[in-house]
Amino acid sequence: MSLAARSVELVVGPFRSSWRAGLGWTIAFVLLVVSTVAFWPAFKGSTALNEAFKTLPQGMIQAFGLQDFASPAGYLRGGLYELIVPLMFAAAGVMFANSATAAEEDAGRLELFLAQPVTRQSVLLARSLAVLGWLVLLAIVVLAAQLASDAAFDLEIAYARVLSTIILCALLGCLYAGLAIAVAGAFAQPGLVLSVGLGLALVGYLVAALFPLSDVLTSWRQVSPWDWALGGDPLVTAAEPWRYAALAVPALVLALLGIVAFGRRDIRSA
Amino acid sequence: MTASAAIRVEALVKDYGRFRALHGIDLEVSRGEVFGFLGPNGAGKTTTIRCILDLLRPTAGRIEVLGLDPRRDGVPLRRRVAYVPGELRLPERQTGHQLVAAVARLRGGLDPTRQTELARRLDLDLGRRLRDLSSGNRRKVALLLAFMSNAELLILDEPTNGLDPLIQHEFLRLVREVREAGTTTFLSSHVLSEVQRAADRVAVLRAGTIVALGTVEELRGRARQRVDVWFNGSPPAAELGRVPGLEHQLVEGRRFAAVLAGPIRPLLEVLARHDVVSMLVEEPDLEDAFLDIYGSVS
Repeated sequence: MSLAARSVELVVGPFRSSWRAGLGWTIAFVLLVVSTVAFWPAFKGSTALNEAFKTLPQGMIQAFGLQDFASPAGYLRGGLYELIVPLMFAAAGVMFANSATAAEEDAGRLELFLAQPVTRQSVLLARSLAVLGWLVLLAIVVLAAQLASDAAFDLEIAYARVLSTIILCALLGCLYAGLAIAVAGAFAQPGLVLSVGLGLALVGYLVAALFPLSDVLTSWRQVSPWDWALGGDPLVTAAEPWRYAALAVPALVLALLGIVAFGRRDIRSA
Repeated sequence: MTASAAIRVEALVKDYGRFRALHGIDLEVSRGEVFGFLGPNGAGKTTTIRCILDLLRPTAGRIEVLGLDPRRDGVPLRRRVAYVPGELRLPERQTGHQLVAAVARLRGGLDPTRQTELARRLDLDLGRRLRDLSSGNRRKVALLLAFMSNAELLILDEPTNGLDPLIQHEFLRLVREVREAGTTTFLSSHVLSEVQRAADRVAVLRAGTIVALGTVEELRGRARQRVDVWFNGSPPAAELGRVPGLEHQLVEGRRFAAVLAGPIRPLLEVLARHDVVSMLVEEPDLEDAFLDIYGSVS
């Protein structure tokens, strides 16, 4: 059988075995997006709400993206794309990556596959592609749910702005998935992979959300991938190309580091 | 050292942190033989096997399998090797058929006739989900994968764990069949009778060191045998006392009983000079040899 069949098996196998988690994330994303947009008609053009939010501390408004909440872009930012959607993409990326790599190895289930005529590197590369596949699929799901509910609940926003924002959120997920693969490539410890991946995702959010509140720290918010992804307010203004690259390139480099490390160490047995 | 070795391991050392699991192992498995790798749990059998398969990276030493370096030539090598892990973990949600198909896609090709035949001989239902199978049935799935592979070298780590005696018997038949076809089998086990029945040569591993290496017959030669001799008259106790390797001697009237460790010839030479009525020598089994070797090193 051909190299192609082997490569397909290496990617499709782990992709397929994550379908339960994939279905769970799909349902969660769809419910979140639809239920959030469903309340749009109640907030649409509400000056009272804007006034109410203005009484909140400026930092809190910034942190939760509540500025201009009565506009379509402001509503989607505050309700979905400032925190919850990117956080879900980051969590999904880390969890898919962990379950395809460190968790499988820790459970002893990689042993039989690594004893087949495949390189370790190709196994981890294929599993990274399976994770990427799920993140792409989830991005399409979110985009479809967003566009459908925009139409259903009369929320008017440029298609290009929504698309770009969702791509940036998914790339943020890829970045943390890449980080998880780097850790999993070096250490077969699912606990470590999850805590580093999810921990740094949360730290990234806090840095981007809270550092701007301090005059001293505000310029440091740029160290956070969240700022690279969403700092330009992509629902309002077109994101600069470097923002995509700033997420995609490190994601790729981290995954490659993991793949190289995986080729150099002992495989854990059950 | 011959050029045709299936597995050649030289001075293999493996450390896990500060713990040394293998203390410089040397062994050579010839092509076409069934090589038994015996030792209690924790002796280092699995560590050795995982080094041979490049799942573990040796701390020191050299490994050559089918003339190839497991690390550098891993892919072409593993195409010619099939492996049944000792700690067997299979993808739980798949059925046996799905796993067999997946492995076949990775190895390239599958002989459905052979698959059906093996499933029948191992009494295995491949249609069931792997998580619903008993550990014995999961092991059958792994054995089926190995015997289906047409590999030149089978590396089987505790392959009969959890199998019932009938299937164990069938397994030994399969090993003999592939041996006839020229396949080399590296069979790790702590089940002595299995190795005794299947293997041409045996290495005994203890605490990361090979403590015995030889043919099954040679190992038997090192085993202790119970000897009972009845004389027509009093046993020649003094003369028998000088026979090397004769221990726990007991004289009871005309009967002489002892345990013989070592070759039997010196004893026979003494007995030939006397009026022996009857003699009983229990056949040693490898278990005795095994325990003997352990006894002598511990």
